[in-house]
Amino acid sequence: MAQALEALVTALVPASRDGHALRSDLVAHCEDILNSHIGGHNEPDLGHLSDLIKRQLLQSSPTGAASLKFTNLLSRLLDQPVLLRKQASIHFLQSLAGSPSQPGVGFLPVLGPPPPPRTSPSPSPVEPPVSRLPKGKSRADILRDYRLKNGRPHLPENLLLRDTLYLLQGISGKYVRFSAQDDSETENKLLFVEDSKHVISSPTKALILRLAEVGHLYTRVEAFVREREEASGVGMIEQSLCHHLQAQLTEYYRLIAILESQMSASSNGTRDGSLEGRSLREEETGLTLRRLDVWITEWRLRMRMMSVCVEGARGAQGGALVNLIHSYTDNGDPFVRKFTDQLLEEVSKPFFATLHKWLFSGELYDPFSEFFVAMDPTLAHMQSLHPSSLAGGIAPPSGDGGFGGFADVDDISVEREGGLKLWEAKYQFQEDMLPMFVGEAFGNKIFSTGKSLNFIRYSCHDSDWVVTREKMSNTGGTLKYSDIAGLERSIDTAYQIASQRLFEVFIDKFKLLDHLRALKNYLLLGYGDFADQLMEALNGSLTRPANALYRHNLTATLETAIRSSNAQNDPPDVLRRLDARMLEYSHGEIGWDVFILEYKVEPPIDTVLDPDSMVKYLKLFKHLWQMKRIEGTLSVGWMRIVGGARTFLRVPELEPQWHQIRIVMAEMIHFIRQMQAYCQLEVIECSWKVLLDFLNKKEGDMDAMIEAHRSYLDRMVKKVLLLSPKSGKQESVLNLVTEVFSTILMFREATDNFYNYCLSESARRDGQLDAERGVYTGTEPAHDPDTLPRLIQQVKDYSGVFSERAQTIVHQLQAHPDLDCRFLGIRLSFSDFYRRKT
Amino acid sequence: MSSSRDADRISSVQQTLDILHEMSQLLNTQLDKETLTTCVRMIESGVNPEALAAVIQELRRENGRLVLQQDANAR
Repeated sequence: MAQALEALVTALVPASRDGHALRSDLVAHCEDILNSHIGGHNEPDLGHLSDLIKRQLLQSSPTGAASLKFTNLLSRLLDQPVLLRKQASIHFLQSLAGSPSQPGVGFLPVLGPPPPPRTSPSPSPVEPPVSRLPKGKSRADILRDYRLKNGRPHLPENLLLRDTLYLLQGISGKYVRFSAQDDSETENKLLFVEDSKHVISSPTKALILRLAEVGHLYTRVEAFVREREEASGVGMIEQSLCHHLQAQLTEYYRLIAILESQMSASSNGTRDGSLEGRSLREEETGLTLRRLDVWITEWRLRMRMMSVCVEGARGAQGGALVNLIHSYTDNGDPFVRKFTDQLLEEVSKPFFATLHKWLFSGELYDPFSEFFVAMDPTLAHMQSLHPSSLAGGIAPPSGDGGFGGFADVDDISVEREGGLKLWEAKYQFQEDMLPMFVGEAFGNKIFSTGKSLNFIRYSCHDSDWVVTREKMSNTGGTLKYSDIAGLERSIDTAYQIASQRLFEVFIDKFKLLDHLRALKNYLLLGYGDFADQLMEALNGSLTRPANALYRHNLTATLETAIRSSNAQNDPPDVLRRLDARMLEYSHGEIGWDVFILEYKVEPPIDTVLDPDSMVKYLKLFKHLWQMKRIEGTLSVGWMRIVGGARTFLRVPELEPQWHQIRIVMAEMIHFIRQMQAYCQLEVIECSWKVLLDFLNKKEGDMDAMIEAHRSYLDRMVKKVLLLSPKSGKQESVLNLVTEVFSTILMFREATDNFYNYCLSESARRDGQLDAERGVYTGTEPAHDPDTLPRLIQQVKDYSGVFSERAQTIVHQLQAHPDLDCRFLGIRLSFSDFYRRKT
Repeated sequence: MSSSRDADRISSVQQTLDILHEMSQLLNTQLDKETLTTCVRMIESGVNPEALAAVIQELRRENGRLVLQQDANAR
């Protein structure tokens, strides 16, 4: 080892051959080096090493011959069996070759001076470059001399260079300056200051113009950034755009600084060097306008992109701005694409922060309204209002204090508007703010998810769940622009979870299904026994004028009906909400016209059962209730004429009339029974099944739920009320049916009158018979001979009107556009009873 | 038999050294063949290549200094 070192020392330092002390000194020094830690840690692998070497070789001889040769040698070396540590040897050679720093590269490695055009095969970077032999004057030199003689030489390039560097920073130079126009609207022009002593050649001018474009763009971008910095209320997306631009500009400043120092280095060299040395150095290291141009090229593109963004940013805001930038990503030029991607990544950060907050916690944090979801400021306060009203509504389950009294009707109605309005109008979707890379379908999903979460949180008071969800989601990584697939995935999951949860909350916590069922059972008369009881209990009071009715009586009757029917087994929470009420009545109306049942709902259930739907429920109730009433009346009347008339009305000459009445009444009963069966079985139950199927599937969001309920209700309204889609004639059948109802009632009255007449007539005859037998039973009542024909005429009139109208209804139904309604027509006239008589 | 194997070995060593020398010329390390042989031997015996390169450079610098000194002395 020491021997080898000694040999090395003597070979490399010839002086040490004589001096023994020097030699041992050097050997000791070398041992120190070898024992030190130089290069001890890493051992690059062979491939990397050979790559490095090849690159080195390519740099010194760009033809590639040397590197080819090296590859050859390397493969041959690897074939040799002798050496154990070939790699180390090569590493040694490489580090020895790579160590001498190449002169002139400086801090601009990429644009190092071109390899000197010398012909020697192995240029030695260790030695200083051999100065070039002086040659004869070139033509350029001759031209320059000629110009010098003429007294108007070209302006020296280094002066122009300085000016150009100024221009790049948007500052006017001494020889070249921007035209003094302060307003940015008019195009800035470049002026060359020509003095009498120098000229600037036109190619140079063109070059400077090209360079000055960057400077011009720079001023624009910089002005924008400056302006936004000063302005207040700049959106977050714009802020981050500015931030990114600022970072880019810093990068740009760095480049300019480097160029400047490069320029000053070269100009220093010119000052103290000889002319020859100067030209040489300039060629090797200095900055020229052309080199500057090459340096700036990339920045020119960047600046153009930036200024385009800046221009766009003036008009757009928030998501629209992101959209604008996104539209530049579809570019064939990889450089532009990369730049915009970078920019977008940066710019969309606040957007994704907002999105994250919205998607996972249902909070809208958007101080500058840049998100594609906008909050209605007038509804924002509903958040704080709701808990109190809900607490008041739910807290006392014992009394109906929450609903009691008409005094707070206004208050209730204001709140009642809440649910659906809150859901529909609190947040709005703004399409132009939606970034294109998200897509409209996903935008809708995001919108709905956040809305659901917000709703769960504030209207359903389930914020714990949302918070835990938010925490869980935080572990799943952040959303960002470069990961669109991941974004879509997380949107999908968030959407599903939120919708699922919303369904759960509504069905399990707020018992939506119970409420719907209660509405069907009570308001749509699904509970037959309850309806019968109620009808019976109310029959007496409802025939009185409306102003003689009192609400407390009605509620008491309702209570009785509930107690005496199966309805008492329903949960108290449902029964508590049921209420009897009178509509606003006008003069002359009787109880039947104004009585309604009501079912109270409160937030958040009223999101689904909104006031509009409640109105529809009431409408249905009124119709069905009336039908029920007619049915009840008819059955009572039927009992009377079938039972009573047979047993104690002994007026034989009136038997045919009674027979007629029975026939007509049977017809009416048939009519009303078919009507009822149709409503209950074919309309209500079928629609109910569709709704139940939907709710059991638990798919879709809140909107879907609202929509399902709405279509359920609409379907019932349309079919129960026999509405026709034709405009102007929508209620024609319904009107006929109500007319028929009133005809039946009048007929019933007429038969009652007839019955009474017959009763008194038979009593009179009994009295007569008694008198004949000599038994005096009482005073003879006055007998009016006109009464009987009048009564018979009335009955006949009404029955005629009824059959006529029933026939019209059947015919109209047979031509009804709705299939179910048409089928009702067939049911009514199953035996072709109502066939049009020709 | 053994002599022929020895001869083989010697020739392959020679070839290897030739290749390495050629590489060294290509990389412009300015090592002559003897120094290169010494260095390769040292590396084979386990010396760190980078440290060895540092040694060579150190020695070269030392030499340059010495030569300058001598010149100054001579003047």
